[in-house]
Amino acid sequence: MTDSLILGLSSGSACLATCGMVMFPYLMAGSSGVKRIAVDLSLFLITRFVIYFILATLSWYFGQALFSNPVVRNIVPGILYIFFAVMLIWYSIGKNRSPNCPAKIVKTINNNRLVPILLGLINSLGFCPALFIILTKGATQGTLVQSYLAFLAFFIGSSIWFLPLPLAGKIRKKEVLKNIGILATGLAGIIFLIKGITNLIGGIING
Amino acid sequence: MDNTLKVAGMRKSFGKSLLFTLPMFLITFMFMTGGKPNFSDPASGLAMLTAFLLVNVLYFFMHYTGKTDRYRAVLFIIFALSLSYTLIHNMLEVRKSMSFSQADILECKIPFCHLVIPMMILPAAFTKSIIFPGSIISGFANISSMVVLWLVATLVLGRGFCSWGCFYGGWDDGFSRIRKRPVIKKISELWKWMPFAVLLMVVLSAALTMMPTYCSWICPFKAVTEFERVTSVESATKAGIFLSLFGGLVVALPVMTKKRTQCSFLCPLGAINSLSNKITPFTVKIDKDACNECFKCVGVCPLYALTTDDIKAGKVSLFCSKCGKCVDACSRNAIHYGIRGIPSGTMKNFSRNLFLFVSFLFMAIFSSGSIINTFHGLLKLIF
Repeated sequence: MTDSLILGLSSGSACLATCGMVMFPYLMAGSSGVKRIAVDLSLFLITRFVIYFILATLSWYFGQALFSNPVVRNIVPGILYIFFAVMLIWYSIGKNRSPNCPAKIVKTINNNRLVPILLGLINSLGFCPALFIILTKGATQGTLVQSYLAFLAFFIGSSIWFLPLPLAGKIRKKEVLKNIGILATGLAGIIFLIKGITNLIGGIING
Repeated sequence: MDNTLKVAGMRKSFGKSLLFTLPMFLITFMFMTGGKPNFSDPASGLAMLTAFLLVNVLYFFMHYTGKTDRYRAVLFIIFALSLSYTLIHNMLEVRKSMSFSQADILECKIPFCHLVIPMMILPAAFTKSIIFPGSIISGFANISSMVVLWLVATLVLGRGFCSWGCFYGGWDDGFSRIRKRPVIKKISELWKWMPFAVLLMVVLSAALTMMPTYCSWICPFKAVTEFERVTSVESATKAGIFLSLFGGLVVALPVMTKKRTQCSFLCPLGAINSLSNKITPFTVKIDKDACNECFKCVGVCPLYALTTDDIKAGKVSLFCSKCGKCVDACSRNAIHYGIRGIPSGTMKNFSRNLFLFVSFLFMAIFSSGSIINTFHGLLKLIF
């Protein structure tokens, strides 16, 4: 669970730095008081939780079907980890990193109660390399419960950053936070790259 | 007064320099000899005398020539090399190998270094336990003495610790001085924040795993101190990481960029020390009236701590390690050591003298043991 939590924590900080300023006005639109903010934020987080729960289930079932052969089970996840980890590292250091948050799409939707749910949906299904990595992890777990735990750790790690969202407007050095978040995401990529390489070597040796 | 400073920099006369060296002379004498020089073993006596002379001659020249970094770097690099020698020598004597086994971990025989400190904080706060397998108060490089030394030095010097107290910084400082001109001239500003990202990752991972993850997986200086015995794919991967990071960030990149890249782009303790720069009494200040914006200081800064915008704004960034390279490069004395609360451009000599005394004394005392040890080892090797 530790590596899933670290992945969530590192990608969550970059996600907040990129999307926080976009999501904040929509989550808080028309809000009057702390209670409303808490309700909107809860809806947003619950939506993410439900999506991750579904993804944990789907990834595990697909993993059971695809990785039934023990040799494939050792080698393919290693290759996937390496591939997605390289993508994550590329995202953190690449100059062509998209500066825009996918949640900007909600600008086209009229402000209503659906907005926090839609934001939660877009945020959790925004297919970034970190999500691909956690999907791979979910697919390679021995039991469904382990897959749920991996996604739960990822959810907790990435959600912690959204809790102070109502205070996001007060953060002065947003660029610094964004830079640190992006670099931390790259470091999480390196962790999974190493994990992938050791998995692959272990798989080849044992296979 | 100001005109004289612009022409002569911080130079002093021979007699005045001797006078300024006298307190250093007496204090280092007391620390190195305990007040009773012992020449019963000629090799030990000669090693002590050499270290004592080295330290005091360098300090004298700092005052006599008015240059800081040139002489600081000599002691700083010797400190790094001698500490590695001392550590390796100690390892070989105690366990006949540079690598340590699981038994050494269980018996808490691993020497402590200050890079572990950021990782200790959360586990110590929540579980009242120390996650490093070292001795708390006894033995070589014990935890309590290293933490106290680092804390005192950081509160006084801020990130100055990285240029005056860190026993690893001398490695990439040394390699950054090999070439006359850099091969790689421009590196993205983004990378300056990497130590903070590393800090975030190692603090969290150490708290979650209750392991000093930086030491276990990342520290490049494992290559020149001690490391886990290679017995599995995992330990081989770790050894590969240590060697690659040492080769890349401590040797190759410093040579190519003329910058201290390990300190600038990796060290998590450097990130904490940078934050402490906000509260320490000593700073580096820019006298905007004297500055002609030649930006020589920006080019020579080994830690990417100065940008042209910083100079125009008249302030140095929190990454400054007070090494003195920019101060030496400025022919107009526009960038200078200062004391918090005293306006820039005033009391330049007083501030420099006070800072040099404190910082150099710390380095001299901290490094003397390992330097004497190394000279002693070399003398025994030669004779």
